Amino acid sequence: MAIHTQVWRAVYGKSADAIEKSVENVDESIRAIICIPRLFPFTFGHVDGLPLSNNVSPTTVANTASLLRIVAFGLISAAAIASRLFAVINFESIIHEFDPWFNYRATRVLAAKGFYEFWNWFDPTAWYPLGRVVGGTVYPGLMATSGVIYNFLHYFNLPVDIRNICVLLAPGFSALTAWATYMFTTEMKDSSAGLLAAAFIGIVPGYISRSVAGSYDNEAIAIFLLMITFYLWIAALKQGSALYGTLAAVFYFYMVAAWGGYAFITNMIPVHALVLLLMGRFSGRLYVAYCSWYAIGTLSSMQVPFVGFQPVRTSEHMGALGVFGLLQIVAFASLVRSHLSSKQFQDLLTVSVISMGLLGAGAFIVMTYKGWIAPWTGRFYSLWDTGYAKKYIPIIASVSEHQPTAWPSFFMDLQFLIFLFPAGVVLCFRDLRDEHVFVIIYAVVASYFAGVMVRLMLTLTPVVCVSAAVALSTLLDIYVDVAEPAVPENENSSANGTGAATADAKKAKKNAAVGSQAGPNAAAAASSTLSDIVNAAKSSSKSSPSKQKGIWGADARLVIILNAIGMLVYFVFHCTWVTANAYSSPSVVLASSNPDGSQHLIDDYREAYYWLRMNTPQDAVVMSWWDYGYQIAGMADRGTLVDNNTWNNTHIATVGKAMSSPEEIAYPILRQHDVDYVLVIFGGLLGYSGDDINKFLWMVRIAQGVWPDEIQEPNYFTPTGEYRVDERASDAMKNSLMYKMSYYRFAELYGNGNAIDRVRNQNIPKIGPTLDYVEEAFTSENWIVRIFKVRKEDPLGRDLKSANAFAQGKKRKRSKPVSRRRAVV
Amino acid sequence: MAPKSASSIKSTSAVQTLFDAYTSQTSSRLKFIDAFLVFLILSGVLQFSYCVLVTNFPFNAFLGGFSSTVGQFVLTASLRSQVNPENKGVYKEVSRERAFADFVFGSIVLHFFVYNFLG
Amino acid sequence: MKLFAFVSFLAIPLAFAAKDGKDKLISLAASGNGVIRLDASTFDLLTAPNRDWSVAIQFTALDPRRRCTPCKEFDPSWNAVAKAWTTVSAEQRDNHFFATLDFDEAPTVFQKLNLASAPLVWVYPPTEGPRASTRNLPSKYDFSTGYEAGPLSIHLSNHTPVPIPYKAPIDWARWLTVVAGLLSFALTLRFIAPVLQSRWLWGAVTIITSLTMNGGFMFTRIRGSPYTGHDGAWISPGTQTQFGQEVQVVAAVYGTLAFSFVMLTMIVPYQSSPARQRVQVYLWSGVIMLVYSVLVTLFRVKNRGYPFKLLL
Repeated sequence: MAIHTQVWRAVYGKSADAIEKSVENVDESIRAIICIPRLFPFTFGHVDGLPLSNNVSPTTVANTASLLRIVAFGLISAAAIASRLFAVINFESIIHEFDPWFNYRATRVLAAKGFYEFWNWFDPTAWYPLGRVVGGTVYPGLMATSGVIYNFLHYFNLPVDIRNICVLLAPGFSALTAWATYMFTTEMKDSSAGLLAAAFIGIVPGYISRSVAGSYDNEAIAIFLLMITFYLWIAALKQGSALYGTLAAVFYFYMVAAWGGYAFITNMIPVHALVLLLMGRFSGRLYVAYCSWYAIGTLSSMQVPFVGFQPVRTSEHMGALGVFGLLQIVAFASLVRSHLSSKQFQDLLTVSVISMGLLGAGAFIVMTYKGWIAPWTGRFYSLWDTGYAKKYIPIIASVSEHQPTAWPSFFMDLQFLIFLFPAGVVLCFRDLRDEHVFVIIYAVVASYFAGVMVRLMLTLTPVVCVSAAVALSTLLDIYVDVAEPAVPENENSSANGTGAATADAKKAKKNAAVGSQAGPNAAAAASSTLSDIVNAAKSSSKSSPSKQKGIWGADARLVIILNAIGMLVYFVFHCTWVTANAYSSPSVVLASSNPDGSQHLIDDYREAYYWLRMNTPQDAVVMSWWDYGYQIAGMADRGTLVDNNTWNNTHIATVGKAMSSPEEIAYPILRQHDVDYVLVIFGGLLGYSGDDINKFLWMVRIAQGVWPDEIQEPNYFTPTGEYRVDERASDAMKNSLMYKMSYYRFAELYGNGNAIDRVRNQNIPKIGPTLDYVEEAFTSENWIVRIFKVRKEDPLGRDLKSANAFAQGKKRKRSKPVSRRRAVV
Repeated sequence: MAPKSASSIKSTSAVQTLFDAYTSQTSSRLKFIDAFLVFLILSGVLQFSYCVLVTNFPFNAFLGGFSSTVGQFVLTASLRSQVNPENKGVYKEVSRERAFADFVFGSIVLHFFVYNFLG
Repeated sequence: MKLFAFVSFLAIPLAFAAKDGKDKLISLAASGNGVIRLDASTFDLLTAPNRDWSVAIQFTALDPRRRCTPCKEFDPSWNAVAKAWTTVSAEQRDNHFFATLDFDEAPTVFQKLNLASAPLVWVYPPTEGPRASTRNLPSKYDFSTGYEAGPLSIHLSNHTPVPIPYKAPIDWARWLTVVAGLLSFALTLRFIAPVLQSRWLWGAVTIITSLTMNGGFMFTRIRGSPYTGHDGAWISPGTQTQFGQEVQVVAAVYGTLAFSFVMLTMIVPYQSSPARQRVQVYLWSGVIMLVYSVLVTLFRVKNRGYPFKLLL
């Protein structure tokens, strides 16, 4: 979960220029690699269609084509992997972000202790004092994959460090994703479109954003599994093969084990099957493909402990079950019909099919009411009712990657594919074979989801690549074809042609209305519908419509081809730029630029985590906001109260309450939870906007959800409704533990000057907050991480406030380290 | 099956004709497969009624058993549809031998998971 | 502070008058359909320091001159929740009151409490009796969940003796519309079936849906962005914000580009005359170049650090 990707991007944008300069050389080399495969597909993709000289045998042509295909594919893979290595080159081989740190930690356990230990791993340090049963609460696919690779390499005496496997897993799988997309698109059109799609998905930023080296998260392998499952489903549907259906189920199982987004497949395939049914396209192939996938896939998905019996118990999975039942009924009905064709019996069949359908739906509703089937879970429900999460599950709404997507993100992530995408969908409508229906449904559903949540851009990206590749390759098919059409015929024959064409079209329409069109017929219908459109388009100008297609003249071809090449080259530049600047930062190490333009790394996080690791007792418990839980566990190896696995809302709200209450109220909470250290992230000195003060309102909101009487959001605003941290800040704000810890001794840095918070651009009062119940233990170089030690109860039984006052009155002693601090301008 | 039970003599005769048509038109191989399908249906109904009437206590055992019945049913039904000579046009790429191989492969995978589930 | 001093000065006589005061409040509430219309004196009575009742007060400004749209939006929800409270049995009901204080009826109270905005909901806990709270300060309702009655009643139920039996009224009009729509659909199915079976209708629906979604429609809906900016600007700088009008512009740009590609693939190759075909090829290529440049320029406005540009 890249929580602050956006915030980060916003911060990062400032120093973008510097970074680009520093990696210019890398940039060039990668660009060179990328350009080659871009140009490849359409130089050879049409070899089959070209009238080559007669002394070359068709076998030679086919062999050459497949060799070129392999070479191009190799280059695409190389480009896909290479462009994901910016992060390693710019920084180092390091795990990124937040969630990957947990995955990495779990993988280390898996590699060191074996699978059974991992399965039974109870982690007592997380969610202190509750602990976490890791084996039953993770999707183990990612860790298992790395574990298998690790053991495989070690079997061959290749002692590769587990960290490097984790870092490089995502780039490696991106090459496999390109292959799966190639196969999928080949089913849609042909292999030239497939290669284009593979090249697109290899370097498109929408996918790179989740798969750069070091981004060791579930999505890294999930997109490959998504595409391969879809490909196998389409293949099973086209051939009517139980083999492919079973394989689809096996990969579906892998997907379930790897990513919570498997529900997307669980619903996409049934919707596709249902739409085909409604279009009157039921066939034995559909039955074989769907039933073999569903029966094996559902059973296997229940093997994953974290999923458990959900596939038979929750509403998300009931659609698939319903379609499964419907298919059985329809199949039985069509079997009966094949034996008997009396009118009366047909009626009986229709009635019984409909009543069975109604009965099933009724049973589903009753079971939901009775509680045998769980209703939609909040996360899924919030996709439909977009206001739901904000009202009832603030913890979901607080994550920045769950925010809705503004249009620049679409363009940033998909560039020119985003407008080729509708064109490709139109082409799918032209052919409208069974597999095209799938792309169409996928396009609509994924567009909606990507609009609702930024992170679901990831599911939109593959279909955009496929669809855009279909559009572009169709265009190039037409304009690269060197065969010119004949000179237009005379008026008479064309008039006949018109008549025939319209008659054809009418017939086709009638057939479509009957609704029993199979795939190949539909294609024929499509072409006549097309001619219909062309006729309509031309009827005004009364010109002669010819059925043949083609382009006259080399200049027209050249214009289109140059235009396309230009767009592709621009796309490569765009992708390289976006990848290098926006998506390749580990967010554990930050980069900024020095005045002379050189890169300056800000390593405060690791500095602080290392301090914790070295200077605190092994069993110390650190309280921080949940974002940093995994990192503290992974890098500092200390216990945490809450972490990024946000399973216990109350516990998180407890932390929120402690942070947003005054010291005296927070102190008992801290002591009850055995907290030794409190860690806050403060960006005011450096202008790092992803800090805790900016997240503070979410802490307040989440705490308010549990203790509406004690914490109230309006109290943290000024009377005029502003969120301020300067003198005009509200009392609740000024007294909160979070505020005090963030700005503790901040003004002293500036001496007599104005202390400015650079994130919020506000002046901090000269007389800063004082702390009685916690004391400063560590502040990192740029003040990004501040760690405070929770004091023990006073030995004399006084409350710490009066004890402090007493001590201060006696002797004004300062024992805090001052030397570490310096004002960074 | 409400409409059937509520039907008149006409529909009973329709069922009769259907049965006659079935016995006369279907090859003995398909009848053999159909017999297996009927057995699976009976087994599934038995398990389900046990679950509803008595107990679903080892829920994973019930699910494993029931899913193996359902899975085997649909795989066998797929095989039946693929080897049915009437459907030759539908399955262009699946020969009879291939269909049987698919069936075996699917069943092995299915029962691997079932076995794992019972464990 | 002044207020509290004043009130505590009055406390002694009020303590004697508390019983009478409560009766008066009960009758006021009964006459106002569950809501007490407050003025300065009844406000003091209602929030007297010695009270065994809790009270929820809506501060509002309903007078049209005040132009408080949220107040108008919120008022019906408030009244609905208060009305639901009247159905509670008497001994519970009389321990909690709903009241409305309009700015124009008691501006002094607004000044005393230092209130600058409306609507506000404050809940005063009881200070005596079994439910007495140690905190004398009122708690404030957070409008982040909107102005609907449902969340309001859930929140207020934390402060009332028994939960407020509020049930959202059944929206008959909506149900009727749905039923009528379904019926008319079923009746006209025979006539509109050919239209529904036309693939290009579905195609148009699909394309328009994905274009609006890709234009960021859901962002404007969820965030409630305005159609244009305050100063009439229709494009808001910054990659993480956008106005309503941008959805239309961007969707139109994408649509034009996609349309040009569709023309080049589906129409142009079927032309019968070389000359006309050539003109169309150049025309659509030009359109693509131009509109694409416009798109990149738009993106540069949003993302200032973007280094590339096309013709414009």
